[in-house]
Amino acid sequence: SSGINAEYGEIRSHLNIALKPCFSYLAQCRMMSVSMENFIKHIKLQITKTSPDLSDNEAKEELLFECENFFKENIYLAGKSISEKAVARIVNGDMILIYKKSQLILHILLEAKRQRKQFKVMVVDSRPDLTGVASCERLTAAGIPCSYVYINSCTYIMKKVTKVLLASDALLANGYVLGPVGTAMIGLIASNYNTPVIVCCETYKFSERVQTDSILYNELADPDSMLKTLNADDSLVAGWRESPNTRLVNLVYDTTPPALVSIVITEIAELPCTSAPVVLR
Amino acid sequence: AVVSTQSTGELSRQLKATAGTSTTSVVSGCDLFVRFITLSRGQKGPSSDVDILECKGFDPVRKFLVERGNLFMNRLKDSRRKIAQLAYPFITDGVTVLTVNISRVVLEILTKAHEKSKKFNVLVTQSEEGPYMVNQLNGRGIQATQILDASIGFVMERVSFVLVGAVGVVENGGLINKLGTYPVAVMARSLNKPFYVAVESFKFYRNYPLSQLDLPNDDKYQDPQQKGHPEVDFTPPKYINKLFSDLGVLTPSAVSDELIKLYI
Repeated sequence: SSGINAEYGEIRSHLNIALKPCFSYLAQCRMMSVSMENFIKHIKLQITKTSPDLSDNEAKEELLFECENFFKENIYLAGKSISEKAVARIVNGDMILIYKKSQLILHILLEAKRQRKQFKVMVVDSRPDLTGVASCERLTAAGIPCSYVYINSCTYIMKKVTKVLLASDALLANGYVLGPVGTAMIGLIASNYNTPVIVCCETYKFSERVQTDSILYNELADPDSMLKTLNADDSLVAGWRESPNTRLVNLVYDTTPPALVSIVITEIAELPCTSAPVVLR
Repeated sequence: AVVSTQSTGELSRQLKATAGTSTTSVVSGCDLFVRFITLSRGQKGPSSDVDILECKGFDPVRKFLVERGNLFMNRLKDSRRKIAQLAYPFITDGVTVLTVNISRVVLEILTKAHEKSKKFNVLVTQSEEGPYMVNQLNGRGIQATQILDASIGFVMERVSFVLVGAVGVVENGGLINKLGTYPVAVMARSLNKPFYVAVESFKFYRNYPLSQLDLPNDDKYQDPQQKGHPEVDFTPPKYINKLFSDLGVLTPSAVSDELIKLYI
């Protein structure tokens, strides 16, 4: 800053410019998720809204407070609100299916256990990251009876399941749910058995994007991690980079159509999938 | 403030005891009434600088509440007429309408269509009060036949569309209606017959059942022991084509939009 006058009002113009390289660095490390994009939009808006009467330090404090507030309202408290509504749907004798690991879903199940509900959990997991193992550990530590299967056995176990509880990474404007790859499969199998599919999604994950398949917008994760869980001494697969005919595709997301989802629980309300974007209006 | 939201529960319980009708419509009607009152906070009292619900003395407030109550009731009574106005064009000459049990809204729609000289006939499932519905229709000059609930499979191929009333409509557009509606809906979907619901908007209920068992027991059973058959069943929204309400002709997903507009 160049002088006393420059201490005031510079935040608005300079901070956005200063943050740009940070955002693009993050985007280069890993593609931005919908929730990150929404937060960045929010923070940019807050920066432009800072009053020109505040000194730089005061403005910075205000912005930091906004960040904290965003986390507190949209993530922490929203999680609690969703958890309350979701726990009300869990009844004694339920067999609840969950997919991989989600903080929100684990929070819901642990809360239900705290409220002395008697239920069992079926943890469905898939390669390559196998995060479901951690889910299982958390749940058994809390004393909740768990079963663990790979997604291949989903059709076999689905008849015993009474409810499916899924987390999501985003909710699109046309009602499609963006979730970890494999979610759509679970939704489809559940709907075949008429099992209710409950999706939990905080409103900061809502997106204006419209998408009907998983190819239009997706993220590719490290393909070599797909090899790690195989005993891939087989040179055909391990040497995939040299072979012109082989590609390893490690998709991160997939989209679940609204017809397969029974209900979306957000902190504002419990809604059918198609009405979720109405809440944003 | 005079009004508290806890009073709706008490109010609806008392009303249920006196009216003997199902609770869903009563509860949602009461919820709406409370909002109708509390959203009128802009109104000023006789001393004109104090909000009517905050001013001292109960008399002006009571007068105000009664006025609003009457206005509310008149709007509700009028909704049946509005629905009939909207729905009767769907009944064309030569159609066969299937309806379940008794519904005053459906009765009004069919009467209106008859007044407009449409030639149609009605099949009414027996259920509990089917005979009463048939008498009412025949009394107004509409050709109505009673059918056994077991014969809906048999008659469905002859039916042009199904028109039922409602006890309540839930957040996802699903229908709570007299027992026997769900099988008719499934049968209609199976033979690709349109399934229409005629319902006043005050019956849009803030509840989201995912299965038959999710319906609150109060709605299902009259007596507290909960023995015998439930009074109502739940029809998921995918079986419903359109809802005729005083807010217009809606699809099941639009019901959620309307509820959000009202309550959020």
